[in-house]
Formats: sequence, C-alpha cells, structure tokens
Amino acid sequence: MDKKVKVVPCSGIGKVFGLMAREAVLKTVIELCPDKSETVCLAYIVTGDKEVKEKIEGYDCITVDGCPKMCAAKNVTLTGGVVVEEIKVLDTVKEHKGKKFGSPTQLSADGEAVISEIAEKIARKINEIN
Amino acid sequence: MSVLKVGVLSCSGEECLGGTISRLATRKVLEELKFIDTVTLCLPLYLAGGEEERNFAKVFPTISVDGCDKLCAKRSTEKFSGKISGSIDVSKIIGNENALNTKIVRNKDLKDEHRQMIDQVTDEIVKMIGSISPDAYSGKSFHGCGCGSE
Ligand code: SF4
Ligand code: SF4
Repeated sequence: MDKKVKVVPCSGIGKVFGLMAREAVLKTVIELCPDKSETVCLAYIVTGDKEVKEKIEGYDCITVDGCPKMCAAKNVTLTGGVVVEEIKVLDTVKEHKGKKFGSPTQLSADGEAVISEIAEKIARKINEIN
Repeated sequence: MSVLKVGVLSCSGEECLGGTISRLATRKVLEELKFIDTVTLCLPLYLAGGEEERNFAKVFPTISVDGCDKLCAKRSTEKFSGKISGSIDVSKIIGNENALNTKIVRNKDLKDEHRQMIDQVTDEIVKMIGSISPDAYSGKSFHGCGCGSE
C-alpha cells in the first residue's frame, strides 16, 4: 500500500496566497520529501472520480490553503482524506508584515523565502508521520 | 448597458507540467488580454463554496483550460455550473509527454521552451474567446470569488 502522505494545496488563482500554497507544496513533494510525500491535483479531487477517491480515501493528507475559504481542506475531507494538518498560508504571511510576496503569476524573492518556510513546516509534519 | 465578460477557468493541476501551463496561460490572458474583459474563479470553490460560485458559468460564457485529458475543470464546471462555451486541453497543444511531466512543475523550473508552450496555449485561449458571440453574456452580476479573482 502506498504510504506517501498526500499534500494538497488550493492553488487559488486570484491572489498571490494561492500561488504560495501551490509553490510551498511543490517544493515539499519535489525537493524536500519526494520519498515520503506526493501531491494530488485538487481539481481532480473536485471531480469525485473513483480513481482519485482511491488515491485519497483513508490516507493521511496535509492541506495548504491561501484564504479562509479553506478549499483544499474542505475538498480533501469531502473526498474521504484524513486531514492530519491544515496549513494556512496567511498564518506565516502574518509574521512577515510589510513584505511584498509577488503576484498570482510570479513570486518575488520575499515570496520565495516565505514559501520555503511553509515548505519546511510541511516537511516537519511529514517526517513526524512517516 | 452590460459589458461582455468571459470566464476562464483553469484546472491549475499540481501533479504535472500541463496543470502549471494551464494556470500560467490563464493568468496571462487575464492580465494581458485587452479587447475583452476576462474573469476567473478558484475552481475548488465549486465544492467548497456556495450557490454564488456555482453560478459562474451561468453568468459568464466560460472557457475551461485543462492540463491533461482528464479535463477536470471542464467536467466540474459542467457538473456544478452549467454548459461551457469552449474547452482547451493543454496536452493536445503541447503533447502528452510534456503535459504529463511530473519533474518540471514549479514556476521557477520553467525554461524558455516551457514559456513558449504557455504562449501557444494563451493564443488558443484568445482565439476561443474571440469566437464567443456577444449574445452569450447573461448580463447578470457576480460577486462570488472568495479570493478576489475578478
Ligand atoms: S482557499 Fe481561497 S485562495 Fe484557495 S482556492 Fe479557495 S478561495 Fe481560492
Ligand atoms: S486536468 Fe489533468 S492536470 Fe488538470 S487537474 Fe485534472 S488531472 Fe490534474
């Protein structure tokens, strides 16, 4: 059985925080913890297809959201994922008042630094689980 | 007088390059297209959001942009929001092998060849927007997106 932790960002498209969620997750699953974690397309989860349900249902999942709508956390839960940690980008952003993080298209250097911080948080959680 | 606006919904898939290209081409259209107003919505809001979000494609003629042939944005939009005016499958434009690349997904890893793919997909979206009839706009207003995508 595939024991990899599923890490799912919201990838919100309207503000930079959705991109930050996305980039933090991709940094984690591609660079920091490729053997212990993987991502699953959130839009695929939204379809509710049988194959994607099988990927998520009953598995440990970490969600990363860009705003209080919490789309990733809600959709993963609705699909049967076991959400062990709900990460909110805004919690980390609040610790960096006055900085500019970029746009929904491109992160700035400050944005890259903050997503690295978020990715470290995600990686710590993955290492606790796995 | 109501102004024609077109909705562009990207899958923004996280598993492969096709999803990244769908997202960046959609952003490029939103930021650069001048001859018509475009709007978008975070796709996962269909399930997580409310009635307002689900009305998106009923209010705007909408084009979906998907990274691969699973066509998640197209199918979810049709399921939750109604008929769409057009759909783009990025894998048909850049090829399956490129679209399903799971190594190059992050923005910072994109090279010139990937930027060209974004331009190709952008052109296709613009062409599709150009073919939409002005009569397709419902004239209704929309205040749905939680993260201010409009
Ligand atoms: S959580 Fe917020 S930013 Fe993320 S997809 Fe949902 S509405 Fe968009
Ligand atoms: S269409 Fe493909 S790339 Fe896009 S969300 Fe679905 S599975 Fe992922």
